[in-house]
Amino acid sequence: MKLSQMIGGSSCKIVKSNATNKLYHKLLDMGFIPGATINIIREAPLYDPMQLKIHNYLITLRKSEAALIEVVQL
Amino acid sequence: MIKVALAGQPNCGKSTIFNMVSGIDQHIANYPGVTVDKKVGRFSYENEKIEMVDLPGTYSFSSYSLEERVSKQFILDEKPDVIVNIIDASNIKRHLYLTFQLLEIGMPVVIVLNMMDVAQRRGIVVDSKKISQMLGCKVIEASGAKGIGSKEIMEAIVQTSKNVEKYEEFSINYEELEPHIKEIENAIEQTKLTLNKRWMAIKMLEGDDTITSYLKKEFLNIEELTRTQIDKFHTLYDKDTTSFLATFRYDSADIIYHKAIKDVNIGKETITDKVDKIVLNRWLALPILFGIMFLIYELSIVGGYKLTDYTWPILAFIKNFVIDISPEAYLTDVPMVTDFAVWMINSANALINYIPIFFILFMLIAIMEDVGYMPRMAFILDRIFKKFGLHGQSTLPLVLGGAMVGGCAVPGVMATKGIADDRARMATILTVPYMNCLAKVPFYTLILGAFFKPDMSIMMFFISTVTIFTALIVAKIITSTFLKTRETAPFVMELPPYHLPTVKGVILSAAQRVWIYIYKVLTIVLAVAIVLFALLQFPGISKQSQEQYDSELEKSLTSFDKKVKKSSYYEEVDTKDEIADLLNYYDGYRNKRMATTSKDGALAIDETYNKKNPNFYKFIKPLKDNDAKIINAEIRKLAKERNRILRNIKNEKVENSLLGLSGKAVEPLTKYAGFDWKINVAFLSSFAARESAVATLGSLYEDNKEQSQRAEEAMAANSGYSELHAVAILIFMLLTPPCIATMIVVKMQTNSYKWMLFAIFFPIFLGITASSIIFTLGNLNSWSGLEAMSYFYFSIVLTALIIGFFPTKNINWQGGLKNV
Repeated sequence: MKLSQMIGGSSCKIVKSNATNKLYHKLLDMGFIPGATINIIREAPLYDPMQLKIHNYLITLRKSEAALIEVVQL
Repeated sequence: MIKVALAGQPNCGKSTIFNMVSGIDQHIANYPGVTVDKKVGRFSYENEKIEMVDLPGTYSFSSYSLEERVSKQFILDEKPDVIVNIIDASNIKRHLYLTFQLLEIGMPVVIVLNMMDVAQRRGIVVDSKKISQMLGCKVIEASGAKGIGSKEIMEAIVQTSKNVEKYEEFSINYEELEPHIKEIENAIEQTKLTLNKRWMAIKMLEGDDTITSYLKKEFLNIEELTRTQIDKFHTLYDKDTTSFLATFRYDSADIIYHKAIKDVNIGKETITDKVDKIVLNRWLALPILFGIMFLIYELSIVGGYKLTDYTWPILAFIKNFVIDISPEAYLTDVPMVTDFAVWMINSANALINYIPIFFILFMLIAIMEDVGYMPRMAFILDRIFKKFGLHGQSTLPLVLGGAMVGGCAVPGVMATKGIADDRARMATILTVPYMNCLAKVPFYTLILGAFFKPDMSIMMFFISTVTIFTALIVAKIITSTFLKTRETAPFVMELPPYHLPTVKGVILSAAQRVWIYIYKVLTIVLAVAIVLFALLQFPGISKQSQEQYDSELEKSLTSFDKKVKKSSYYEEVDTKDEIADLLNYYDGYRNKRMATTSKDGALAIDETYNKKNPNFYKFIKPLKDNDAKIINAEIRKLAKERNRILRNIKNEKVENSLLGLSGKAVEPLTKYAGFDWKINVAFLSSFAARESAVATLGSLYEDNKEQSQRAEEAMAANSGYSELHAVAILIFMLLTPPCIATMIVVKMQTNSYKWMLFAIFFPIFLGITASSIIFTLGNLNSWSGLEAMSYFYFSIVLTALIIGFFPTKNINWQGGLKNV
């Protein structure tokens, strides 16, 4: 399942990141490592981007980027 | 001297710690070649001099963003003695990720746990002794907002730098990766770089550009070697080195977190969560955002403008003072020094006048930054801006530039600093000047008053709402053409917890930005003003015209002489020198009198002038003295006549000047838009400051007969323009390039003269094209002014909407490592 498909209020665990280059490194630095837990808080008022909680802090990601992260729902 | 680098992730409260420790002895510079601020503070502790450099906030210590590159470059080139790492105590785990990277560099580190008070309030108990033992470095508990920990931090810096020989290299055991690290470490054994070799080896395995470029100079095949090691590791363990290292560091941070931190409230809803529920709510988010924007606009632009009512008299006083000490005019012969002094003080005043607005604005921006609303604003509106190649963070700059009736591009462009995506940042810098500049409003009022009296409100509505659409279209155009190859950053943005801002931090930040404005913008604008002055002055008027004006003056002097002979005071005004003095006396009195509104002020002026020259005073205030009244009437007439001649001289000077000549030279080009040389000159002179366009036009169109005629009436009557001309002028002004002050901040923020020139000429091109099209079509179809403006407006809005709704799905990032 892709992270972008998750709905607000649910949680998931990262399996793999399909991002490349700069985005790949940036996501790793922000803590998007395999096994990390993500809580999906909400979508923006215009449905994109999404607000997430990972490693106990809040982050926002566009859906186009979230689509590159494979997750399993918890 | 101890050199200290201050490092930390964004939102760790680094700047509050920096301000607390270094006090006000700090200065801002740029890191070489980039627009990233470099703050340096100097202080001493126990006779030890300490220099502290504030590195840009970075999540990591690799080379994937400009800030990271700048930070790393600093560490490599300057080799600080101690690295001070600021950590948000209420969010330790993520911040420790950077800490491990800093420790690995192989330089002594001091950890500062900031926001201890916030952590305590949230029920987070931190065992700083434990962390200190586990990481082998000093750990200080502090709170920048509360002013706690300053002494302890200085103490720790001094102690750590004194004990540097006891420092043992910090290293993480990367287990299965270790043989590969060793391999590279051995390969670079002979390096001349004094940096830690293990660290460089690890950085190589992470594909770090900066380190690679350093080592490549010494070891030609180092890239190849690293490549084989990365591949080998991949085949052996099916793991990617970068991901492996990141995971390893996060796991290490997790160990510290579990051993040294107790969080009793974990999983519970925080205040930030609660506020977000309202502020980011699907239905409330946009109304709240617009409310905040409106409030900022009201407080800064509207409130600040009111404040200028109180500061303007000070500036007017300075101006009058300069005029007073400049050499006086002799009849129609005004010394150039005086002209120059007045010109310079006017140019300076026009810009200084905005300082109250800027100060309020910068304070509000600082508050929003500190509170944590800025990234949330980007979160709410990103979807719209993304469509046009901009970024959610473009919201504030565009609003400041004048989303409503009037803003200012200078603070707008300055507020683009925080935008992470370089392409979007550049696009924002280049589009902010298309918004509604406050100083353009008098110009619009002049044109509307002259040509669109009955339709003024609808025209003003068109003018003030079309700008955001033009800005968005321009953004789309330049991001898909000129800026296409610019570096972009993925939209991965932290939404920090809400914080109360500190008064000191807000004021310091606002003062620093205002100082940049004064120091950088004002000095350059004054330099440009000198050039413009020369362009307007030379070559001056011809000898023939001069003689003509002299004879006109002679004629009015003769008439004056004849009339005042009847007066018993004739002896006091029977020489040219006396008349010249009286004229200056009269004009001086009148100018001062018109500048005051209070009764006491008027009385004071009366008194000074009476004291200055009681003989002349009776001519200005003749009361019941009939002989003095004759002179009073005649000197008024003469003063009027002199002003007329002076204005004619000035106009002819402008027409003959280099600027006037260039206005005429481009007339063949601008005639398709209906612009004659007078309009061209007005546009050209408006570069110095927008305000002068009105003054120039006003003086060019006055016909010198009726003094009471207002500028817009004069323009409507004397210019010979149709409504269509006026629309073309309005369209050009809407799209016209920014004033000099804006161009200078564009230069500062883009760090390039090339882009500054682009920011000047692209709008001119757009403006001339758009106004020519509308003018030509309007002439062909004999549109009324309102029709022409409506067509322009709706075609712009439609274009923007088409772009906005056109589906786009393209990859908007690039760069990074090749051949990953």
